[in-house]
Amino acid sequence: MTSYFIRRFLLIVPTFLGVTILVFMLTRLVPGGPVERLLQEAALAGADGAASFTSDVVSSGGSTLSNDQLDQLKAYYGFDKPPLVSYFHWLGNVFTGDLGKSTRYGDPVWDIIRSRLPISIFYGITTLILTYGVCIPLGIVKAIKHRTVFDNVSSALVFLGYAIPSYVVAIALLTSFAFWIDWFPLSGFVSDNFDDLSLIGKGLDILYHAVLPLIAYVAGSFAFTTMLMKNSLMDNLAADYVRTAIAKGLNFRSAVFDHALRNSLIPIATSFGNNITLIITGSFLIEKIFNIDGFGLLGFESLVERDYPVVMGILVISSLLFMIGNILSDVCVAVVDPRVKFGAGGSNQ
Amino acid sequence: MFKLDPQTIKQWKRFRSIKRGYWSALILVTLIVLSCFAELYVNNRALIVSYEGKWYFPTYAGKILPGSMFGLGDDYISETNYRDLKQKFKEEDKGNWVIMPLVPFGPEETDGDHIFESPSLETKHFLGTYDAGRDVLAALVYGFRTAMAFALILLVCTYIAGICIGCLMGYWGGAFDLLFQRLIEIWNTVPFLYVIMIVASVLSRSFWTLLGVMVFFGWTTMTWNMRTSTYKEKAREYVSAASALGASNTRIIGSHILPNTISVIVTFIPFSIAGGIAALTALDYLGFGLPPDQASWGNLLKIGTANLQSGWIVTSVTVSLIVVLLMVTYVGEAIREAFDPKKFSYYE
Repeated sequence: MTSYFIRRFLLIVPTFLGVTILVFMLTRLVPGGPVERLLQEAALAGADGAASFTSDVVSSGGSTLSNDQLDQLKAYYGFDKPPLVSYFHWLGNVFTGDLGKSTRYGDPVWDIIRSRLPISIFYGITTLILTYGVCIPLGIVKAIKHRTVFDNVSSALVFLGYAIPSYVVAIALLTSFAFWIDWFPLSGFVSDNFDDLSLIGKGLDILYHAVLPLIAYVAGSFAFTTMLMKNSLMDNLAADYVRTAIAKGLNFRSAVFDHALRNSLIPIATSFGNNITLIITGSFLIEKIFNIDGFGLLGFESLVERDYPVVMGILVISSLLFMIGNILSDVCVAVVDPRVKFGAGGSNQ
Repeated sequence: MFKLDPQTIKQWKRFRSIKRGYWSALILVTLIVLSCFAELYVNNRALIVSYEGKWYFPTYAGKILPGSMFGLGDDYISETNYRDLKQKFKEEDKGNWVIMPLVPFGPEETDGDHIFESPSLETKHFLGTYDAGRDVLAALVYGFRTAMAFALILLVCTYIAGICIGCLMGYWGGAFDLLFQRLIEIWNTVPFLYVIMIVASVLSRSFWTLLGVMVFFGWTTMTWNMRTSTYKEKAREYVSAASALGASNTRIIGSHILPNTISVIVTFIPFSIAGGIAALTALDYLGFGLPPDQASWGNLLKIGTANLQSGWIVTSVTVSLIVVLLMVTYVGEAIREAFDPKKFSYYE
């Protein structure tokens, strides 16, 4: 078992290299990087006849930067070397914990990312608690009350969440409950007067802003987890060991909660580790719709602005988390299901 | 002769017995067929123009009919505005007439007099207009066609790639399997929409480039499913029997393994379609999809959310999205149930 997990951890390395090379090359091969963006801005400024440009700038012919300066710029952003060389340069920096500097703000990438983390973590953890807090009990009740009115009505709701992508849910919520019925704010994480509020006021303000995004987040994983819980509990309730327990005189309640429930949590555990990605990275669609200044919106903005160091920094963090999450899922399965022996049978998928 | 085997007939009967899914499938197929002929009922070109005893069919003329052809003056060399022409013929009352489609607006046509107008029967903008006076209903109809076409072509491409690679991975195993396993792991770790946005932000955005990018990053799901089911089938006796009889690899895969994995493939189809529609709409909404002047649901969604006070835009597009995706998912559930009749028996 230990050797299996060691192997899994070692396999992170090639996958990580593959992912970063793929995206790094993509950002290199495509035109319109930061240098071109600066040139464009310089050309625009030149067209306006801005005299504020320093003497380094050759202002003739629509004004571009001098060749020297162009080279300097390229060297600054590491675009002067061949892609593979600068990739390894970047990789070396990453291993020393340096993700580079944002081309948009000039700040270190890690600082920018860190400043967005609290918001994303708040949403991630609340979503996690809500999802499991609602889905597991709901799944249990649905399994016990299979084919009753309650089951059918909640199935319709679950189905709605399953069929409709969470960004459509988000837009529908935003339009109905923030615009037409003015119950919730249209966007943002906190109000403008946040700093003036008392501690309780601050908490309420965050919650007030969080209601709609949280519903949208939960809607995304709601259906999957609920149905998984329901189906696996029903599988277990039909199993022989539950029948035996009942035959021996155990009441139904303890048969469900002491015997069947533990086993039916196994499938839920298989996806538990992946929540780690959700906690940190969130969804940039929902963050963009509600204009929440989190990790996802940062990724979206840096893509729009071609701020590649930030793009790569986000990729490093999210891909590492994703892979660690997968391993964590396996650990969870091993914890709840003592029958599982990873790596013994050769097939591990 | 092509003959359905009893198993397929049984599955089809079971599918038909699930009313919700069956009716959704019928409605969806009708909508798709209808949308193929959208030009006939949502168009700024007239269906028939009768001018001085001659009939013209501008929709299928194959070229633009200039206004000069219908006596609108010799310097009218651009395309005729048939709505104006209809008005003019009516006023002249010389026996000339024009039959316009039900919705007399094209999907990309701008109407400067009616910018952001609420739905009205009078102006024939039945669901109102959006940004430059484009008709919402026309955008919905043509957007549906684009989204469906995108999802279906994406489905075919990713399934062909997935079935080929996945089958070989499962059948050959060994180094080939390992290589593609690592590749798929990389592909799955890359944030999907994120990379598509990087690529889409620089390529000239058109239907086909978007499709290519989506295929390039979307083939892994089907490949993985096919690998798993091929693995399962390969271990069964009938495959050993076939190979003992001297069947070639192609024959074993083509006529033994593939037919037995069909149910896996079919049950995934509706969900892939829903995924394709949702992905294209999301990309359009974020501004990395189809060009903004093209009528698509994502572009409507984008303009609608930016102009919430014009509520008819957001309402019509979200309602359409929800209805279509619900129906697709109903079909998916019905197919899944028809192919996998595992009924839960439960205690009490």
